[in-house]
Amino acid sequence: MKKLVNVVKDKKADFILLSGLFGLGVIFLFIFLVGKNTSSQSVVVQVDGEVVNSFSIEDNISYTIEGKQGSNELRIENKKVYLIHADCPDKLCVNTGKIQYVGQSIICLPNKVVIEIK
Amino acid sequence: MFDIRKMEIKRKISVYIALCFIVTLVGCKKEADVKKEYSQGVFAMDTYMTLTAYGEKGEEGVNEAIEEIQRLEQLWAVTSTTGEVSQINKNGSGEISQDTIEIVEKAQEIMEDTQGAFDITIYPLMELWGFTTGNYQVPKEEERNERLALVCGENIVLNKEDKTLTLEMGQKIDFGGIAKGYTSGKIMDMWREKGITSGIVSLGGNVQVLGTKPDGTLWKIGVKKPGDTEGNLLGILSVSDCAVITSGGYERYFEEDGVSYHHILDTDTGAPADSGLISVTIVSRDGALADGLSTALFTMGKEDAITYWKEHKQEFEAVLVEESGEIWITEGLEDKFSTEESYQIIEE
Repeated sequence: MKKLVNVVKDKKADFILLSGLFGLGVIFLFIFLVGKNTSSQSVVVQVDGEVVNSFSIEDNISYTIEGKQGSNELRIENKKVYLIHADCPDKLCVNTGKIQYVGQSIICLPNKVVIEIK
Repeated sequence: MFDIRKMEIKRKISVYIALCFIVTLVGCKKEADVKKEYSQGVFAMDTYMTLTAYGEKGEEGVNEAIEEIQRLEQLWAVTSTTGEVSQINKNGSGEISQDTIEIVEKAQEIMEDTQGAFDITIYPLMELWGFTTGNYQVPKEEERNERLALVCGENIVLNKEDKTLTLEMGQKIDFGGIAKGYTSGKIMDMWREKGITSGIVSLGGNVQVLGTKPDGTLWKIGVKKPGDTEGNLLGILSVSDCAVITSGGYERYFEEDGVSYHHILDTDTGAPADSGLISVTIVSRDGALADGLSTALFTMGKEDAITYWKEHKQEFEAVLVEESGEIWITEGLEDKFSTEESYQIIEE
């Protein structure tokens, strides 16, 4: 029980550190520049600006991204890309849902993870 | 009769000449370095931003823009101890620089025009609901009303001569609802001054474009279907030289006792806006205006939003989506919006 409380506390602390800059800061990716759909679309995974892996959108994979503060579980399935799980406290990245068009991305701010379809 | 034919020929010749001219221009463009692309991503202002500029000055333009973003972030971040906004929130007043004067003026203008539907003094309420920290809670009505009394942008005093901003006791400000739009607009101005003719910034989903794409075609901006987790699009906006900014309550929210509470608060009730709209997209040449209006129209609801557009239709166009899924677009977007969904057009 004690352990659990600690974990929760830590997470909150991290979140406050990372999100207090702009009170109403939002990372909604409602809109994006539509790129040209090509036959070889790739899904590029970055952590803190560094490309850590990339996949074809044709792949059907599960991949654990080791982010800055925790991990994000990436899945590519039927040419759609989404996160099924994340360690971050806000879960905005998971709530983003699926992406499938060139130019779209999923962002996890606490973990500094950027997943882009290129 | 003869005259008409002569005119016809003359017209044909002039069209021909004009065409040659355009072809030559396009030819020149391609030969020059217009297509060189420089792109960079950066975490700032609580979001992830991507900047892309084309041409010889592209790289310089993007790097200068990132420096500017970081400077403004420092100035306006509510948690930055040295920033102007945090100092003002702490002390009730403080000195401000030119950018802060400009953004406050713009915010006041939008606030007046929307009769307070957009208000930078809503911060104490955002704090109460926990949207600033993630410690979400549904506040009691008394608490809400207490904080609501502080939400009144009319009470903040901007003194341009002394370069100071003064709040009333207990008030706090935050530029989160306008800063990204202001910043993207400023980047466009910076790039224009450098002679860059083509570029795009996406500041956490707030998109603003400069000119057209380097090949002269319009930028295609995808708008996600609100509430849809399968990744379907609401539609595509084909635009040049403007900002496209969407507000929706369907990503940042929390749930308590089976009720979900989103982050766009109504300045009348102090509770999440429940106006019947689930998404508002604003298209405008003015980034700060688009940012502020996307929030304001979201809280207003469809009828008031339509009335507002009719009174200000020189300034912006909008796409409204209702909870029922019905889509409404203002008439200026008719030839810019493409979608597989059915929609209705708002005419004057």
